[in-house]
Amino acid sequence: MSRVNTVLGPIPTKELGLVAVHEHIGYGMPGSELDTKWWKTPEERYEETVPKLRRFHEYGGGTFVDATGICNGRDVDYYRMLSAKTGVHIVASTGFVGGDTALPFFARASVDYLTEHFIHEITVGIGGTGGRAGVIKVGVSRGGRMTDLDKRIYRAAARAALATGAPVLTHLAIDAENAIAIFTAEGLPLDRVLFGHVDDGVNADRTRDTWIAEQGGRIGFDTFGYETELEDPPFWARPRQERLDHFLRLIRQGHLDRVLASADANCSPLGWPGVKGHTVNYIFEDLIPDLRAAGLDEATITTIFVDNPADFLTLQH
Amino acid sequence: MGVQTVNTVLGPVPAQELGVVAVHEALLSVLPGAELAFDVTMDRAEIFEILAGKLADFREHGGGTIVDSTGMFHGRDVRLYETLSRATGVHIVASTGQGPEDLLGGYFLTPQTDPPTPWPAEKFADLFAKEVTEGMVVPRVERRGAAGLVATAATRAGMTATDESLFRGAARAALSTGVPVSIRYGHDAVHDLEIVLDEGLPAGRVVVGGLDREDAVAAGAPLAVAARGAYAALDHVGTEDDGHVTDAERAALVAELIEAGHGDRVLLSSSATGVAKGHPGTEVSYSHVLTAFVPLLKERGVGDEDVRRILVDNPRDLLPVR
Repeated sequence: MSRVNTVLGPIPTKELGLVAVHEHIGYGMPGSELDTKWWKTPEERYEETVPKLRRFHEYGGGTFVDATGICNGRDVDYYRMLSAKTGVHIVASTGFVGGDTALPFFARASVDYLTEHFIHEITVGIGGTGGRAGVIKVGVSRGGRMTDLDKRIYRAAARAALATGAPVLTHLAIDAENAIAIFTAEGLPLDRVLFGHVDDGVNADRTRDTWIAEQGGRIGFDTFGYETELEDPPFWARPRQERLDHFLRLIRQGHLDRVLASADANCSPLGWPGVKGHTVNYIFEDLIPDLRAAGLDEATITTIFVDNPADFLTLQH
Repeated sequence: MGVQTVNTVLGPVPAQELGVVAVHEALLSVLPGAELAFDVTMDRAEIFEILAGKLADFREHGGGTIVDSTGMFHGRDVRLYETLSRATGVHIVASTGQGPEDLLGGYFLTPQTDPPTPWPAEKFADLFAKEVTEGMVVPRVERRGAAGLVATAATRAGMTATDESLFRGAARAALSTGVPVSIRYGHDAVHDLEIVLDEGLPAGRVVVGGLDREDAVAAGAPLAVAARGAYAALDHVGTEDDGHVTDAERAALVAELIEAGHGDRVLLSSSATGVAKGHPGTEVSYSHVLTAFVPLLKERGVGDEDVRRILVDNPRDLLPVR
């Protein structure tokens, strides 16, 4: 039986439809909840979030993968409600965006404990919500090199992925040699790993994307829309055409089956200003038209947004 | 000058009404993140029952006020503390502040800026001061009550740059709001005290905790801190382990401090953990100072007047908003 864990329960892989594979309902660094400058009322949150998800659904979007880590304001009760009311499947993450977003309890935990925690969230549920995680988030802390804590989290993620069949999604694909060494040592096939943010403006130049693809890893072009052309671009922005060319180059090199794309947008950011005007719907409003204009046919677009994420997200048994 | 008041979770209380004060304790103590762990349960009814029992025991033995010195990010639950205070009659003073560095969330250490520069003192000062003037945060929901002090701590191996920002921020918040500061030193008590004094905070507005650690006693820190004019807190009364002196040694130290003329600068507490989540906590009762330690002080020849001064008068002088 082919299935994917969503926050409302397992669904058949065939029902995923078009997938936005790296998005956020709302992301905030741990501790940002203490700073009232970011607070919004629940009314404001819904007002910012629901229309974006509804629009996503109307455009033909099927599934929204929320890549928010355990300590980053992940709110599964909220996701369940949003999913039920908008008709968008939402897949939640277990794991951490990076060691520097793991709170002290987890930062001090052993690999065994982290593994057990991830497995619990995938097979039993997240807290008392009843919702289960469908992917495992890991990532590289600020600074460009994997810290010891990052490595413990990667190792625990690999073990939890093997035990549950859930895939691993990374924040940043820099220092990939260390990441791949851990996955290989643990015996996790690299097609169970989506190396994310290979396209971001800060790290693209030092990310070994083709090498990762050649090792069998999946490649995430998942910061589409964070463009230097924006009025107030974030520091990880990149010229629009440059990112698009980068993506098309990977595809033309024969890596179509390895690439995934997403916008990494926040419906309603929790601990940072967000980027005005940038939403998950960049996929429909800008990216897919750009890909068509560049000559990609419908079958190729389906491979990128439907088939590849389906292969990736399906729990392996 | 009007009546001096202390910020409790139920509002300002005249300092004269505090009674015996335990100046460094923990009510609900949660290692940050533990509340998200799959095997940690947070049953509010159970937590309430345990804490209410411990507070009632404290009151039965003559206790009046508990200061929760765990700061804003270690399980503080203002609404629960309000209910506990109403139910038990024990005044509860809650704290703002955070620290040391490794207990902070990533928001303060690796913010989403390029480069990810940790928070400076001024931003911590603003964060803490608003918890006194505008109310303590219930994350993303509301502000409730006013913090009664700013509590922070330095890294054991020695104060880090971010610890220093926390200490300076705490001192500035205390200066701007009038509440006292409670510091847990890292490696060098006098050094860490000097950081907050360097901000212009009078020494009489500062409690230095952890002075019953073996290294503090060996270094003569309790006397040095009191001589500097700050409050010297022996705040692990009841804990006898590798890192701390024994209660008998604490009693001798108190007698020594009084003998040296610092009776008005001594504070006693147990750093008891009412309910601990995600860490072992300290299983000592809030009444331990009253039931077990005061008799030791008397054996050392400390008189009733000095005992009262330490347990009642000193905190009464320290805690009011100035």
